[in-house]
Amino acid sequence: MSNKKIGCGCLGCSIPLLTFIILLVIILPLSIFGVMNGAFGSKGIPAPKVELPAEVIFHIGVFPVTNTIITSWITVALLILMALLVTRKPKLIPGRLQSAVEAIIEWMYNFCKDVAGEVKGRKFFPVVTTIFLFVLINALLNLVPGYGTWPITNYAGHEVILLRGANTDINTAAALAVIAFIFIEFWGFKFNGLGYLKKFFTVERAFKGWGKVFHGKLSGFGDVLFGAIDTIVGLLELLLEFVRLLSFTFRLFGNMTGGEILILILFFLLGFAGFGFVQVGYIFEMLVGVVQALIFAGLTLVFATMASEHHGEEEH
Amino acid sequence: MNIFDKLAELGFSWPTLVAQIVNFIVLLVMLYFFAYKPVMKMLDQRAQKIKDSLDETQKIKDQAAVAEQDFKKRLEVASKEGQEVIARAMRSGEEARQRAQQEAKVEAQAVVEKARQEIQHERDEAIGELRQEFADLTIVAAEKVITKSLNKNDHQKLIEQVLAESTTLNKKA
Repeated sequence: MSNKKIGCGCLGCSIPLLTFIILLVIILPLSIFGVMNGAFGSKGIPAPKVELPAEVIFHIGVFPVTNTIITSWITVALLILMALLVTRKPKLIPGRLQSAVEAIIEWMYNFCKDVAGEVKGRKFFPVVTTIFLFVLINALLNLVPGYGTWPITNYAGHEVILLRGANTDINTAAALAVIAFIFIEFWGFKFNGLGYLKKFFTVERAFKGWGKVFHGKLSGFGDVLFGAIDTIVGLLELLLEFVRLLSFTFRLFGNMTGGEILILILFFLLGFAGFGFVQVGYIFEMLVGVVQALIFAGLTLVFATMASEHHGEEEH
Repeated sequence: MNIFDKLAELGFSWPTLVAQIVNFIVLLVMLYFFAYKPVMKMLDQRAQKIKDSLDETQKIKDQAAVAEQDFKKRLEVASKEGQEVIARAMRSGEEARQRAQQEAKVEAQAVVEKARQEIQHERDEAIGELRQEFADLTIVAAEKVITKSLNKNDHQKLIEQVLAESTTLNKKA
């Protein structure tokens, strides 16, 4: 080491510089060695096998329990435990944990209030917040060591992993999409009554146009034309409601599965020599988790607000 | 191959979907009762409490201002009263001093007057005694002179002298 010539006082270097030099000295050969020959213990790091369906670990009766169901149980248990810890003895002057939980809840509540207004915001807020927390904790737990790596032999004798991030299962995303869909339509009917359906079946204008034409007024043809467009637009809106099921599902599923695979690939390619890169991948995945949770919750909120809006011009 | 078969290739399965929906609903219900409801209640309560205490603070501030005003007013009144008392005391002191002066003057004048009268009296007495004595002396002198032989001129002269002297004495008295 060249810095020995300089001598005393942390070998003559500042601590950060020394750390950097040591890291360089350790990591550089490791990296070169790793990339050229495969990392240390490269036999221990398997190539990522992309297995989209979640593996069944065991059955309860005829009901199959997959590894993603187990992880979502963990998430649910964790969240409920947290809630119980905070609200078992709620204090008006909060402690740290209570402050943190209250801050998250208040933040989500303000978000709902800003988008949907005071009254609707209060109605939408529990579902939106639960979606946010569920997706977020699923995504974050997925980064905990053990997730995606803990091997176990399942009921059929196959080697599978015990814990797999719940978001990487299409069923979790689909379940959330179904929930969001149901609640959005429920609120649509709740705030507009059966008038909510008028948004999708807009045939009124076309009928009026035909009526005018039968009464011998040529101006009715314009209404017939625009009425036809209205009808098609309404049906498109109806179609969109169901397309949302797919877009919600695949947005979450795709992002989360992609992130998982990205980290596995990074780890496989660089091995332990990938020190630094894999961590960046982890940080990136944390960010993606937060963003996806926010997108899922936010879109649910926005669609719910749109569905619950009163369509004044169709009321005359 | 319908859409659900294709989705099954991606891992879609009805039981898992139902399980996840149930999971979510359990979570929603539990969080609703154990997190959202109490926390929202708490937040509302806290907001109310903060509002209350701010109102209370304002009230106390107002009260303090009123009390200060009152205190100032009282202080003013007290200081005015004090000044009045001092002025009154000074005035009465002045009066007392003047009265004492006046009395002293009167008394002094009385004393002087009395002294003068006494002096006058003494003098009159002294003069009377002196006159008496002088008359006696004159008589003695006259006797002596008479016994001595005098010529006419000397006699006359002596008598005139004595008379003159006596008139000056009389005049002085």
